[in-house]
Amino acid sequence: MCRKLKKQTGMVLIFFLILPLLLTGCWNNRDLTEINIVVGLGLERTEKGNVLLTVQVVEPAAIQSASSEGGKGGGSQPKPVFVKSYESETVFDAVRGMLSIVDKKLFFSTAQVLILGERLSQDGIEEVLDFFQRDQEIDYTMDVLVAKGTTPREVLEMGNDMDSIPAVYIRELAKNTAWRGTVKRTLLIELFKDMGCNGKQLAIGQISKAGDGEVGTEGMAVFKDGKLAGWLNSYETRGYLFATDEVKSTIVNIPADTGKIAMEIIRSKGKIDVVFENSEPVMLTVKVKLEANVGGYEGRGRLDSADSLHALEKVLGEKIKKEIMMALQKLQTEYSSDIFGFGTYVHKYHPQYWKKAGKNWDAIFSRLPVDIQVDARIMRTGIVKDPIKKEE
Amino acid sequence: MRGRIRRGSNAGNENISPDNTHSNSYEPIPGTIKAVKARLSEIFSGCSDFTHREISYRKNSLIRILVAYINGFVDKRALNQDVIHPLLDFLSNAESNESGRIYEQLKEWVVINNDIKEANDMGQAVDNILSGEALLFIDGESKALVIGVKDPQGRQVAEPDTEVSIRGSREGFVENLFSNIILIRKRIKNPNLKVEMIKLGEQTMTDVCICYIKEIANEKLVSEVKERLKRIKTDAILDTGIIEQYISDSRLSLFPTVGNSEKCDKLAGKLLEGRIAIFCDGTPYVLTVPYLFIESIQTTDDYYDHAYFATFMRILRLVALIVSNLLPAMYVALVSFHHTVIPFKLMITLAASRQGIPFSPFVEAVLMIVAFELLREAGVRMPRSIGQALSIVGAIVLGEASVSAGIASNLMVIIVAITAICSFVVPPLIRATMLLRFAFLVAANFLGFLGISYLAVAVLIHLCGLRSFGIPYMAPFSPLTAADLKDSFLAVPVWAMVTRPRILRQEYAKGSKGTKRQEVKIKQ
Repeated sequence: MCRKLKKQTGMVLIFFLILPLLLTGCWNNRDLTEINIVVGLGLERTEKGNVLLTVQVVEPAAIQSASSEGGKGGGSQPKPVFVKSYESETVFDAVRGMLSIVDKKLFFSTAQVLILGERLSQDGIEEVLDFFQRDQEIDYTMDVLVAKGTTPREVLEMGNDMDSIPAVYIRELAKNTAWRGTVKRTLLIELFKDMGCNGKQLAIGQISKAGDGEVGTEGMAVFKDGKLAGWLNSYETRGYLFATDEVKSTIVNIPADTGKIAMEIIRSKGKIDVVFENSEPVMLTVKVKLEANVGGYEGRGRLDSADSLHALEKVLGEKIKKEIMMALQKLQTEYSSDIFGFGTYVHKYHPQYWKKAGKNWDAIFSRLPVDIQVDARIMRTGIVKDPIKKEE
Repeated sequence: MRGRIRRGSNAGNENISPDNTHSNSYEPIPGTIKAVKARLSEIFSGCSDFTHREISYRKNSLIRILVAYINGFVDKRALNQDVIHPLLDFLSNAESNESGRIYEQLKEWVVINNDIKEANDMGQAVDNILSGEALLFIDGESKALVIGVKDPQGRQVAEPDTEVSIRGSREGFVENLFSNIILIRKRIKNPNLKVEMIKLGEQTMTDVCICYIKEIANEKLVSEVKERLKRIKTDAILDTGIIEQYISDSRLSLFPTVGNSEKCDKLAGKLLEGRIAIFCDGTPYVLTVPYLFIESIQTTDDYYDHAYFATFMRILRLVALIVSNLLPAMYVALVSFHHTVIPFKLMITLAASRQGIPFSPFVEAVLMIVAFELLREAGVRMPRSIGQALSIVGAIVLGEASVSAGIASNLMVIIVAITAICSFVVPPLIRATMLLRFAFLVAANFLGFLGISYLAVAVLIHLCGLRSFGIPYMAPFSPLTAADLKDSFLAVPVWAMVTRPRILRQEYAKGSKGTKRQEVKIKQ
């Protein structure tokens, strides 16, 4: 009995010792000094049809000395990053081929952003992203952006004083959308998910040149079947984000009796649906419920009565409704691309219909009427009822 | 099942005979003082510290008495006042020495000293002389009087250097065995505190003493301790450390299964928990058995302070223990294998600090840790007066110069420093951690986290398999003894610790309840 128990315990132990062997991980022993830490990645299609891979690699020692010396700024400091490009037929070959111009092996887990070129996007992005899905070193949480009116290399080469690593600067800008709601933030993993999602087209945030050494992230790129179809501006983007429940906080300006009121959206809930009648889709609906605060009233009116606030709520709702409408109309008429994911709902709740008409969904999407309901509520008007002014 | 308490052996019930003498064969004390003198001179030839004096007095008949002792070992004042003076008085008083035998009279009312024993043969007599007693041989007697006038030499009771506590007694044990026992008696005024003597070491004949509280300590454990002590066959017992190596269950294990302490209150606490103490003459370190893993993170302060702090400190100590074992290995694994799990910003810092270091992280870590261990060892061995110089050299060479010379990275210095600090938090395990750290480093260098986890599992298995005098080393966690968890990482207030450690009584297997503290009535 005792011996049997012992034998069993031994087996269990051996089992548990074998288990960790199944864990994945890097097997090879590589020192940190033997790798090049990649922070930014760029992909573009050349005129020859090759892939142009651009990497932004960080020089840790330069970063360290830059941060420790702070504002002294004297002398010639080594550059904190360098940018290299390599052209090849495939992405993976470009990664390896890069070693002909770069001294150490590239390490991709630290990549913060992936910038896709405009030409590449027009050609289709799903094929080149295959490498990013397969490779075990790729961090799926990097930000993906599409460069508009510029090339990935230009974006990655922009030196900036705000952050010594440009890729980090770009990533922080994209993160800021939580407070702006004017650019779609797309993580690589979300892009992969959308690629496998029935009834949803890809949409990726947009990056463009904003000034000398500055980039701007506003608006978004709309894809149709993996190819770039067009762009949405910042208002349309916000409309899209309201509808897909991606707005965390943003400022919406609405006209008042005199001047303008800046409303701060503090909470927003968006819901989309497709109305079916006789197992045929008849209407697309978007419902948004949001709460807002009055952030500023740049005018002469008063906001002390409940009625005036109710009136404001209506104006605010209308304004947001308009933005959503702009986005929807553009997508239906111009691009014919369902990036909202109405099709996903159809696929999920009306599989019979989807089987029949799924292939033509974008066409069906384009001609369906739209119903948008926005329920806006104003919670607070700041810490003052009325601003300080002279009595009249 | 080596090391388990042997059941059914009658060996444990025997009492340890205190007269475990040099001479195995019985040699009677000669009848005449002249012969005694001749024999003693023969035995102690070449021992110039051996002193004897013959007192003879003739009145009605010739009375000859021989006083023998080792010079400097006995308290001469006490010898003169308590023995020689009354003896001479007695002899000169004619009336008194008429009635009866002189030996009985000396023993019963002449010698003032209370500590009188008898030596029945020459072997015992010699042993007692060597132990610092004075011996009285009387002409015509086959017995000798042993008079305890040993001079209590040695240093004063002082604060122990190795174990420091914030609260509690500052008294530490000294080299004198009897002073040490008194220090315990002062704290446990109870006749159940048993003190059994045994002489160990063929050449040194060191006094070793087993101390326990009857009714609280497990009888089986007590007899097992006696049994193991008796089995020691060696020339010399110079410290309890030697006894420890002979009696521990797993002699090859890195982990200590016998505890030691210099602190009186700590030892009293251990005895009251049901543990057994082994004192040894000539050393202030007292052994306690059984010694379990959890004891290494317990301190006396835990019991004197509020339970919240005790619990926090114990968890902190455990964390320190793990950190001091694993931190360098973790670092090596991170920078050589698992770059993907390093957060981006830390990665930049790591890479920056590694830039330009000619060694691999493993070599760098080993170099730095060896340097630290060297410093530590030097600090222990060298004279105190030059300690300052060493610490300066250590700080400059290890900390500053190696970094600025580009031999070690800043981060490595920090890691070695943290490791060192952590290792000092759990003093009983310093030596085990010191070696395990290297083992973990090697494992990390070859297999990364996988190697670390393999070795950690192996160490855990080893720990769970260890026993101290038959008691599982990892108790109360393995086997889980719920009642004993109150004094593990979680320290409950002392008023809530109602039962004694159950595991020590080996009653956990039967599922019976531990004895309540109040239940044990002291038999007066």
